[in-house]
Amino acid sequence: MIGQHPINRRKFLLTTGGTAAGAAAVGLMPARALAQAKPLPAYADWKKPDAMIVHTAQTLETTRAGMGSPAITPADILYVRNNLPAPSADITADPDAWEIAFEGVGEPGTMSLGDLKTYGVESIACVLQCSGNGRAFFDHETSGTQWSVGAAGNVFWTGVPLRRVVAAMGGPSASARFLTGTGGETLPEGLDPTTIIVERSVPTSALDVALIAFELNGEPLPVAHGGPARLVVPGYYGVNNVKYIKKIAFTEEESPAKIQQSGYRMRPVGESGAPGQPSMYEMSVKSWVTAPLMDVSSGRVVIQGVAMGGVSAVSGVDVSLDGGGSWKAAEFTGPDLGAYAWRPFELVTDLSVGTHVVASRATNAAGDSQPENFPPNHRGYGNNGWKAHAIELTVS
Amino acid sequence: MLLAVAGSAAADDIARGKALFTGEASPPCGLCHTLADAGTEGAIGPVLDDLKPDAARVAATVTQGVGVMPAYAEILPASDIAALAAYVSSATGAQ
Ligand code: HEC
Repeated sequence: MIGQHPINRRKFLLTTGGTAAGAAAVGLMPARALAQAKPLPAYADWKKPDAMIVHTAQTLETTRAGMGSPAITPADILYVRNNLPAPSADITADPDAWEIAFEGVGEPGTMSLGDLKTYGVESIACVLQCSGNGRAFFDHETSGTQWSVGAAGNVFWTGVPLRRVVAAMGGPSASARFLTGTGGETLPEGLDPTTIIVERSVPTSALDVALIAFELNGEPLPVAHGGPARLVVPGYYGVNNVKYIKKIAFTEEESPAKIQQSGYRMRPVGESGAPGQPSMYEMSVKSWVTAPLMDVSSGRVVIQGVAMGGVSAVSGVDVSLDGGGSWKAAEFTGPDLGAYAWRPFELVTDLSVGTHVVASRATNAAGDSQPENFPPNHRGYGNNGWKAHAIELTVS
Repeated sequence: MLLAVAGSAAADDIARGKALFTGEASPPCGLCHTLADAGTEGAIGPVLDDLKPDAARVAATVTQGVGVMPAYAEILPASDIAALAAYVSSATGAQ
């Protein structure tokens, strides 16, 4: 028999309070998820319930087991993180009629998605990951959804390359330093819009790779993932991939929105968010094990997982069966889909009776490797420490 | 420590928390959250009656902010944050 659970997190202790039989199955979820098995919200009710943890109506996580190690994550198990309530699905009824305003270019104007498509269409595979993925593994108290590994997926986006549209509009203004995307959510009355509007600025260098995406894995982009159109910045954390994109502006300054100024800033525990602290832009090298498959009679185990390079292609993954004491090279079992995509990996091995701490550690082409521990930070962002992502396997 | 505060929460603490929730905190919680006891129907953040956050979770969220929800650490004194934590956790029966 084999039991597995993530280690190194006080919350885990809470989850093992149940029966031994239940422990293997429940150990992969943070305690909070167990306390409340909520139904999927209506806008995402087409997701596979068994593979999803409903943290709140706006934060749905893929379970570690449900994620598996596919080269491409099916949309029906892809996590969802909305900063504001999802708009009505009516906005996806006629995608080509959706309009996007362009500012800070030679000739500002508004274009429909239908018109934008005439500039050409490209597809790219890339990891979509929330800045807070791995937050649950930090030991300090953090507000926000306690994601473990499941606020990530690897998907195909199809869309219009932003650089072509912008070139046709006369290019970004000379003073532009940021590419600022604004979401189309309806905002409530009685609040200064900058306090809650989803508006993110990324360096203009992102123009080289950014897409105005309208398809996810070859299907029209559903409202749960930002349809009818979403700004996709490959290699950047999820929040920069603005959903329901309504305006794209080239600006000298970062957006005044709170989500830009003080939200999504990396800082020491106890410090408030402020401009000047690093913004959650580029993702880092990361991997995690998703499944051990086992032949009970021989003790043969296939350790499987996924590995991403961040903004530089993942080049290798090592797996440790003894908590990091020694490492063996794993093999990629899926195609190289480009620098921004993840690749599934596996290691076939024999395990003796007992408990084994199984960890994975990825390296990218730039030579970066996952650290043993990622430093705690106030909001619990960016966790790619291999130790926190390890699981315990018990062979008996 | 927070739990101790919540546990001994006097009626005035709860009353103070409710006043903050419905109007005195700026912006008031109820603008964005539904909470039956407070009579608010905000639809920007999670429905607190469903979420049933415990006092520690309310305190951490209000202090630090989360996503588009503002941090109140520099707006509200610690005693008010504790009052909100006591109120929300008791109003939703999470405590
Ligand atoms: C401007 C709108 C807004 C205001 C005002 C607001 N909230 Fe929130 N709140 C949100 C949103 C949005 C979320 C969901 C955050 C997310 O997951 O992105 C949230 C989340 C929460 C959560 C759950 C956090 C978690 O752990 O998932 C709690 C508890 C909460 N708010 C309490 C409060 C209290 C108490 C106040 C008043 C002091 C308040 N909120 C004011 C928008 C608001």
